[in-house]
Amino acid sequence: MRIAIDTGGTFTDCVYLQDGQLRILKVLSTPDDPSLAVLQAVRDIIAADPDHQGVVEVRHGTTVGTNALLERKGARVAFVTTAGFEDTIAIGRQARPSLYDWSFVPLPPLVPRELRFGIAERVSSEGKVVVPLSEEAIASLGAQIRISEAESVALSTLFSFLHPAHEARIASALAPLGLPISVSHRIMPEFREYERASTVCVNAYLAPKMGSYLRNLQQTLSAEFSESQASVMQSAGGIMDAVTAADEPVRTVLSGPAGGVIGAYQVALQAGYTKVIAFDMGGTSTDVSLIDATQGGPRITAESIVSGLPIGVPMLDIHTAGAGGGSIARWDAGGLLRVGPESAGASPGPICYGTGLDATVTDANVLLGRLDPDGFLAGGIRLDTARMRSQMDSQRGILPNAEAFAEGILRIVESTMEKAIRLVSIERGHDPRDFTLIAFGGAGPLHACALARLLGIPRVLIPALPGALSALGILFADQVRDYSRTLMLQADDDQCERLLQGELIRLQAGAPLADNVLRQPGADLRYQGQGYELNIPWRNSLPHMLSEFHQAHHLHYGFSDKARKVEVVTVRLRIIAPAVRWEPTLQDAVAKDSRVAITSTRPVLFAGAWADTPVYDRALLRPGDAFAGPAIISEYSSTTFLPPGDRVIVDTLGNLIIEVGA
Amino acid sequence: MIDAISLSVFQNAIHSIAEEMGATLRRTAISPNIKERRDYSCAIFDAKARVIAMGDHMPVHLGSMPLSVEAAVCALKLRRGDVAILNDPYAGGTHLPDITLVMPIFAADRDDLIFYAAARAHHADVGGMFAGSMGPAREIYQEGLRIPPMRLVRNGIMDEEVLSLILANVRTPVERSGDLAAQIGACRVGAERLQELAQKYGDQTPALCDELLNYSERLMQSVLRKMPAGEFVGEDFLDNSTTVDAADANPVRIRGTLRFSPNDATIEIDFAGSSPQVIGSINAVFSITYSACFYVLRCLLPADAPATAGLMRPVRVTAPVGSIVNATPPAAVAAGNVETSQRIVDVLLRALAQAAPQIVPAASYGTMSNLTIGGTDLRRNAAPFAYYETTAGGMGARPGSDGPSGMHAHMTNSLNTPIEALEYAYPLRVQRYSYREHSGGAGRFHGGDGIIREIELLSDAQVTLLCDRHRIGPYGLAEGKPGAVGRATLTRANGDRESLPAKSTTFAKRGDRIRIETPGGGGWGKPD
Repeated sequence: MRIAIDTGGTFTDCVYLQDGQLRILKVLSTPDDPSLAVLQAVRDIIAADPDHQGVVEVRHGTTVGTNALLERKGARVAFVTTAGFEDTIAIGRQARPSLYDWSFVPLPPLVPRELRFGIAERVSSEGKVVVPLSEEAIASLGAQIRISEAESVALSTLFSFLHPAHEARIASALAPLGLPISVSHRIMPEFREYERASTVCVNAYLAPKMGSYLRNLQQTLSAEFSESQASVMQSAGGIMDAVTAADEPVRTVLSGPAGGVIGAYQVALQAGYTKVIAFDMGGTSTDVSLIDATQGGPRITAESIVSGLPIGVPMLDIHTAGAGGGSIARWDAGGLLRVGPESAGASPGPICYGTGLDATVTDANVLLGRLDPDGFLAGGIRLDTARMRSQMDSQRGILPNAEAFAEGILRIVESTMEKAIRLVSIERGHDPRDFTLIAFGGAGPLHACALARLLGIPRVLIPALPGALSALGILFADQVRDYSRTLMLQADDDQCERLLQGELIRLQAGAPLADNVLRQPGADLRYQGQGYELNIPWRNSLPHMLSEFHQAHHLHYGFSDKARKVEVVTVRLRIIAPAVRWEPTLQDAVAKDSRVAITSTRPVLFAGAWADTPVYDRALLRPGDAFAGPAIISEYSSTTFLPPGDRVIVDTLGNLIIEVGA
Repeated sequence: MIDAISLSVFQNAIHSIAEEMGATLRRTAISPNIKERRDYSCAIFDAKARVIAMGDHMPVHLGSMPLSVEAAVCALKLRRGDVAILNDPYAGGTHLPDITLVMPIFAADRDDLIFYAAARAHHADVGGMFAGSMGPAREIYQEGLRIPPMRLVRNGIMDEEVLSLILANVRTPVERSGDLAAQIGACRVGAERLQELAQKYGDQTPALCDELLNYSERLMQSVLRKMPAGEFVGEDFLDNSTTVDAADANPVRIRGTLRFSPNDATIEIDFAGSSPQVIGSINAVFSITYSACFYVLRCLLPADAPATAGLMRPVRVTAPVGSIVNATPPAAVAAGNVETSQRIVDVLLRALAQAAPQIVPAASYGTMSNLTIGGTDLRRNAAPFAYYETTAGGMGARPGSDGPSGMHAHMTNSLNTPIEALEYAYPLRVQRYSYREHSGGAGRFHGGDGIIREIELLSDAQVTLLCDRHRIGPYGLAEGKPGAVGRATLTRANGDRESLPAKSTTFAKRGDRIRIETPGGGGWGKPD
């Protein structure tokens, strides 16, 4: 049995298939050791299945790496590089993060000065050895690291990807130390020394913790179940086995959010939509990403920054904006209303939670009637509306009343999210009018229709299982491995095609073989001298690839020039073992009166006017139900606001499909 | 009447267009100086040529971009589809390598001029007597090609005659032409987005722009109201104007006076008492001085304050004509942008520290340590190359925390060129890139450390330096000690070592190594 488990939130969400049916189990998370909740859930699920036999496959979306990085609670890392460049990872790109702030305090580097070691060796940009590596230097390095009390080693020398022998020799000489060693030409054989070293250091920083976590998990599973297998969701949206994840934890730092995007993609495909924008709005931030199934699905980037550190291994291209339910509204000294990026978080939280002081997006939604003060988390929290109203009134500034203030807060936060969606769509050559907006997260469905209208997006989809979307994505994700190497070839060189093909064969030789795997070869191309590349798929012909590159450049940047020389920078190969497809059982659409799902009505303010608005309980809606806004659709973990002019229909999978009016 | 909510939404939208222009420029430019180091700025102006949005890229462009657009608009009658080009420091420019493109944007469906978009980038060579066009020149004619405002694109079509004149005068024409294409691309992205925006807001657009400027003015006034009334004077020096002539080896004074009038929420900044302009390239044109003032005041505002023309309405800046901070032709100006601008900030902060001691940091490294290396690349059939880089140093200690090490401060925020990118692009090999330990000034809070960068030449080349703070270190505050002065050394292939003057040019050989050591920041508070 395959079980997908996402440990990201208060609850650990588990999704699995039993008798062809999708089942969900929620257990309380155990933040101190997330594996306790994971194991408990697996035991419960297996115990409840009398017919269970065969392999227990646990697919894990984990925040162990993410949290260790965010809280800076990783290992004591020794960083080894070419002598003279020990400070590279601290200097970074020598720019300051905030341009006009004299008092900012930079984040300390992951590796302090006393743990950064240089070794005499040097490789040139042509891959030739300029300074040979000596056995004495290696021996002395080993001695230094031994007494340094390092728990993990990061190794990244200059141009290692052109001549891996130096790193390989150092790594094998250090092996007797018994420490995990992260080696740059294996983890990220690509140019730009700081970004590569940073990626390798993050890997080394997480390796001991993730390694022991995953090994324990696998051991306990093996002890309890005759056959078991643990695997982990990568930030790039594919699954990899736990053994590899333990060696390369840097590939898992955005494991949870990646599950959400893949889940949204799965839901979209099942519902018949190939071009979607995933919109996940939570308490403090909003994640957006664009997925176009006609162009290979989710977009991947190799330029991520997580917790202030560049990470160059592939990750899903998720753009984060500082806008969430807890985003705080304030008037600045010039009299302009600002919303976010500061958030009231869970404590003190929005005013309506009882102790918060600053007006937030959630308060605005409650004041306008869009959130039910009594039904919050199924009545789990009762909101203090009287206090909220008087606070909102006192903070409304020059606006005539608290309602105008609340509407203003929503318009501004929606413009911030609009900006985020424009960035992943219009700015990259995609027209949002061709897309469906998939809204999830606690606050996504409240704002989805307004956002779609701002961008001309014709349709909004609210998934059937919004709370388990990430686990769903993990369950149905493909197994993926990414390989790459910087070559820096000139496309007009006679040897280019041969070298490119040769490298692809070499990369393939290093990949595990299986009958059912798909290979996605490609390369990053750019006009000679540019600093950024575009990834173009390889279809066995260099001229074909070049013509696709010119087209892509035009799409992204508005111009292209076939006369200009092109460089083939980095060759990439993605190996995919597709997940078993699951065809959900469609429920019959029954034409019936959807008004039976109305549990109450309440006044909601929209465009300056209050209107009595029916509140639907989503649990009572059935496929085929259809109705027009204004309406509120309430469920346990979120609330959908359907403005006047929009129309919703429940599809045969239980998704809400909203046609957005003009 | 514009409501506060619509204004906030409009400001958000216009700022993101400026940011998108910058991203397009960065991603399509050719020279490492633009694509890797981000030495560029993009800005948007309203129909009256007043700046209303600027991407957060380079502070030194803050006050000088508006003067570029003003110059282009005054000199030319720009029509739909035109793009103006200019770099003349005496007609809207700053120093010759900064080439600015200005594009008028007309409504998609009407003949109304609605906005201007401008994209500026520092080009790694614009001709002149020094490869890289950043050297110790004596007059502007030696510094490179001077382009007064003229049309590079007419009615949507590149003027090949103008382009060929420009390319014939620079050392790396292919790179220049690619970078100019990227700048035009950035302006066109801006145009497309701004036309959509104007369609959305219609006749309200001018009123929104007016209100955005009024809003910014109120923001600055709110800060100025809180400042103490009175006059505060600061003074600091550049080491010398040029080390080519011994006669010009004396320190050059900059003096700035801040006059706060909190009651009417205004400030006057006056540079009377500054040295006359000099023979050498450290002269700053007025737009540089104005930018430095803009930067210092901008730091007093909240982080998300938009950089618009309205911010500077309550501010009056005066500088004596013909002085080091308001140079007139034919003064050379290459280093005014990069060195003198930093010193003007040091002067203003010294004055401000008397008015607001609890927020002002000690002096930062105060020199961009400009290094240009140009020649022909023996690895690539003697193709010409020009490498330009500025190196960060130690930041001044703050009242409450140490100064960060090896980080760009104040008027610049350019990134370094990655060593592997640099070695792919140029016949150079980096031998060392590290912090310069113990170079930060002592104090209760320490100044940040500078940087050491050592580069070996793989082809013969001309090596040119424009540095400062090699004699007078960055000052400490509140009894903190100054940071260490900078140094530059050339080690010949045979091991002979010579110290290089801070402002100098040398013809070096393959195998020679140039080593730059940048100053540390000043300390804050009495050392324990």
